[in-house]
Amino acid sequence: MAENPRKPKPPTDVFTPWEDPAAKPLIEFRNVTKRFGEFVAIDDLTIDIYEREFFALLGPSGCGKTTMMRMLAGFESPSAGEILLGGKSMVGIPPNERPVNMMFQSYALFPHLSVWDNIAFGLRRDKKSKSAIAARVDEMLRLTRLEQFARRKPHQISGGQRQRVALARSLAKAPKLLLLDEPLGALDRKLREETQFELMDIQEKTGTTFVIVTHDQEEAMTVASRIAVMEHGKVMQVDTPAKVYEMPNSVYVADFIGDVNLIEGVFSRPAPETCQITYDESEPPIHLDATPGIAEGARVTYAIRPEKIRVSADRPDDLANAAFGKIIDIGYLGDISTYHVELANGQMVKAAMTNSTRVSRREFTWDDEVWLSWRETAGVVLDH
Amino acid sequence: MRRIALIALPYLWLLALFFVPFLIVLKISLSDTALAIPPYAPTLDLSEGWAGIRDWWSGLDFENYVFLTTDSLYWKAYLSSLKIAVISTAITLLVGYPIAYGMSRARDEWRPTLLMLVILPFWTSFLIRVYAWKAILAQEGFLNQVLIGLGVISEPLTILNTNTAVYIGIVYTYLPFMVLPLYAALEKLDDSLLEAAEDLGCTRMKAFWLITIPLSMQGIVAGSFLVFIPVMGEFVIPTLLGGSDTLMIGKVLWEEFFSNRDWPVASAVAIVLLAILIFPIVLFLKNEEKQWESDT
Amino acid sequence: MKTNAILLGAGLALIAGAAAAEEVRVYNWSDYIDEELLTRFEAETGIDLIYDVFDSNELLETKMLAGGSGYDVVVPSGTFLQRQITAGAFQPLDKDKLPNIANMWDVVSSRTAQYDPSNAYSINYMWGTTGIGVNVGKVQELLGEDAPIDSWALVFDPANMEKLSQCGVHFLDAPAEMIPAALKYIGEDPDSHDPDVIAKAEAVYAAVRPYIAKFHSSEYIEALANGEICVAVGWSGDILQARDRAAEAENGNEIAYHAPKEGAQMWFDQMAIPVDAPNPDGAHVFLNFIMDAQNMAAASNYVYYANGNLASQAFLEEDVIGDPAIYPDAATLDNLFTTTPFDAKIQRVVTRLWTTIKSGT
Repeated sequence: MAENPRKPKPPTDVFTPWEDPAAKPLIEFRNVTKRFGEFVAIDDLTIDIYEREFFALLGPSGCGKTTMMRMLAGFESPSAGEILLGGKSMVGIPPNERPVNMMFQSYALFPHLSVWDNIAFGLRRDKKSKSAIAARVDEMLRLTRLEQFARRKPHQISGGQRQRVALARSLAKAPKLLLLDEPLGALDRKLREETQFELMDIQEKTGTTFVIVTHDQEEAMTVASRIAVMEHGKVMQVDTPAKVYEMPNSVYVADFIGDVNLIEGVFSRPAPETCQITYDESEPPIHLDATPGIAEGARVTYAIRPEKIRVSADRPDDLANAAFGKIIDIGYLGDISTYHVELANGQMVKAAMTNSTRVSRREFTWDDEVWLSWRETAGVVLDH
Repeated sequence: MRRIALIALPYLWLLALFFVPFLIVLKISLSDTALAIPPYAPTLDLSEGWAGIRDWWSGLDFENYVFLTTDSLYWKAYLSSLKIAVISTAITLLVGYPIAYGMSRARDEWRPTLLMLVILPFWTSFLIRVYAWKAILAQEGFLNQVLIGLGVISEPLTILNTNTAVYIGIVYTYLPFMVLPLYAALEKLDDSLLEAAEDLGCTRMKAFWLITIPLSMQGIVAGSFLVFIPVMGEFVIPTLLGGSDTLMIGKVLWEEFFSNRDWPVASAVAIVLLAILIFPIVLFLKNEEKQWESDT
Repeated sequence: MKTNAILLGAGLALIAGAAAAEEVRVYNWSDYIDEELLTRFEAETGIDLIYDVFDSNELLETKMLAGGSGYDVVVPSGTFLQRQITAGAFQPLDKDKLPNIANMWDVVSSRTAQYDPSNAYSINYMWGTTGIGVNVGKVQELLGEDAPIDSWALVFDPANMEKLSQCGVHFLDAPAEMIPAALKYIGEDPDSHDPDVIAKAEAVYAAVRPYIAKFHSSEYIEALANGEICVAVGWSGDILQARDRAAEAENGNEIAYHAPKEGAQMWFDQMAIPVDAPNPDGAHVFLNFIMDAQNMAAASNYVYYANGNLASQAFLEEDVIGDPAIYPDAATLDNLFTTTPFDAKIQRVVTRLWTTIKSGT
């Protein structure tokens, strides 16, 4: 039933409402600005989020992502602009009257109430019948596998269990929109990874729109259908995880998500269909495929991910770009190794290779002279 | 050894400053009043040896306790003290809660100052502060002058020497004892709990009743007992601010001791007061224990 | 034990020696002396005088019976003196150290002897009556020109008291005097020791209790003088002091004192030396100083009380010796009564009755 962008599906079924001009967004930020005194937390921001999306707000602390979430929940109101939910303006509507629930970073479980009563808290406010409340709470307990902890108080269960109580409580009222504020921040790495998949599973089962705030790019990449990368109150790029990674639109996004080599140079078109970047007199220029929209002679940054660069002893003939250098450092990460290679002009380039063989039989070691090579399409050119 | 000494010290302290005086008062309460120094009999004469102790022992009886039940003055005084203590504790709570709440919600850099302001009255003698209230509440006092000056009233209000003045004095004096435990409880309260309650459909008012009140309950209980227990035996405030008809057991006790020079009955009144207070004191200790448990 | 006591005594003597100058501690009623006398005593004798005040016999008795009050001279009234002598609170006076005792007046000593047989333990300081002080103008305004200001009816008749409550009435907080007064008003024996008779006082007070602003034994002097109240049942000299303060302040309050015509209580304040007085020698010096004719006259001229010192009468001012409110004539004297102390059981009835009366329950 639910579309999940991460599962292989026939192309017609792929969940991409943002590409459909007829689709109505669930949430619309229209030129929203939020100031706290002199400080501008959100700067003239416009963004659409669609139903059933798992939308991630990603950025360093202080970038405004939490403020955006709190405006959605109703704890803050915009200084300018407006926020629409299901086409309806949310201006002046208090948190308790919004069809939105939030899972707090600290979980904010009520310490004086049992797990059961915590989950039932929101339902009781709706004056539902006793049996309806009990049925819904039990359903939530099943969904989050907390059945045997129903009678416990929050301080009597583990951190992971508390996280699930918080999730169950925020989902109990079946909100149109669920906000998750760093929901996994307090968990250790292993539990965190498990829980990420659990979250995706629950999102899919319930069909709820999730907006998650996180500073952890891996988490955002794993769970989200789309990611908004934020910086200083502005959204730098909104795209699917793959596009944000492969086609960053700015040096900031390229650098923020994953590892990247950034090489500054001058763009030129020696022939109509060929483009290149010259970054040093002594090195050959970087060859690119057709890159429209960039002026001849412009200063640009060339961004290329380390895993797109191949390391070899001999100069390969099949790839458009090649550079010669010396291995300065090797970062061994188990599955992959990252080689820090210094080119003749002193430029450092990182290249990552999967370790398909055991360490003792590794091909290259410190001070080896190697060739780095990559395709014309491997990197992106970022205009200044 | 050192550990035993460490534990023994507070117990010795308790023994010397509470238990021994208590036994002395208990002993006097079982004696009869006499025209002598000290004004009760029998007194323990150890120089007579066993015979002295036997004589002393046989002279003790519960006559004074029986006497307390025969005169309606005493149970009326206990009830009146109870009523004044309950009402003034409730008023102190109603006044103290918003103060403590405001303090706990104030900006961090303001809190030490606000805390200081609550404690500040302790820098002046309690007696002087109560006397100041006499000057404020008198017929010709500041309050009446201000109210008449503002045209709110035309005749001066009679507040001094009434129970109203006693309530004002008690609430004023004991307010810090209510505010401080409430503040300690409210300060710990996580704001996100209130946001969570609102998020789940509570109005602010409802969130206050469902979250803030239950989570500050230990502060409410602690503050209430810290006010209730001493007010039960309060003497200075009803004497200075109350009228001759303000009946409180502390005042009766004072009169038994100083006006009637009836030490045995005064001691019996004190012992009964203690017995009445043991119940709330035990409850208070239970509450403290619970708090200690939940904090660890 | 004995060695310890001696060591302790020696220690105390050392401390006392270290404290240098000799001290006498006197515990007297408030507003009861010309303070210049205190300075004069120190100048004449070189003894440091520590002078504390109280306003109730009951409070004094509590201190006396607890023992160890630390005072060298105290001033209980007759009936209280008698009880405290029985309890063993005082030491007999050494009359060899009191040459001025020859100045005493037999009219008074013969009466005080009923409390302190042959005046072995005490000397008379002042004596007076318990009566009614009124602000004449205010009372006449409320009750008319013929207001019964010289009768107990003024304060025990609810009809009068209801009107007087508008301008304020204070009573002494002294059961040993206020209950006999009520008994006298209803024609009973004011010195009755019969609990059933004593209990009749309760009804008298119950009728007027709502109109009594306060029971207090010292505040009324100032309150009467500044017009805060218009009637006070109090001690003669105190009310005369209030009269003078009002006259000095020229505030228009005309205060008058009357020993009620139905009969008023006559009382005697006696100076005595506690059995455990730290400095009995100094105490004798103080008593002898007080019995000096000129000193005693100075005290009476200041506080408007009669004294038991015949020789002092030559130095009394005319408005003291000539005022029948202070030195009553023979006819008035006949109308005054004295009381005797209650035993412990009756005392308990009396004081309990008083607590009930005051609390109005």
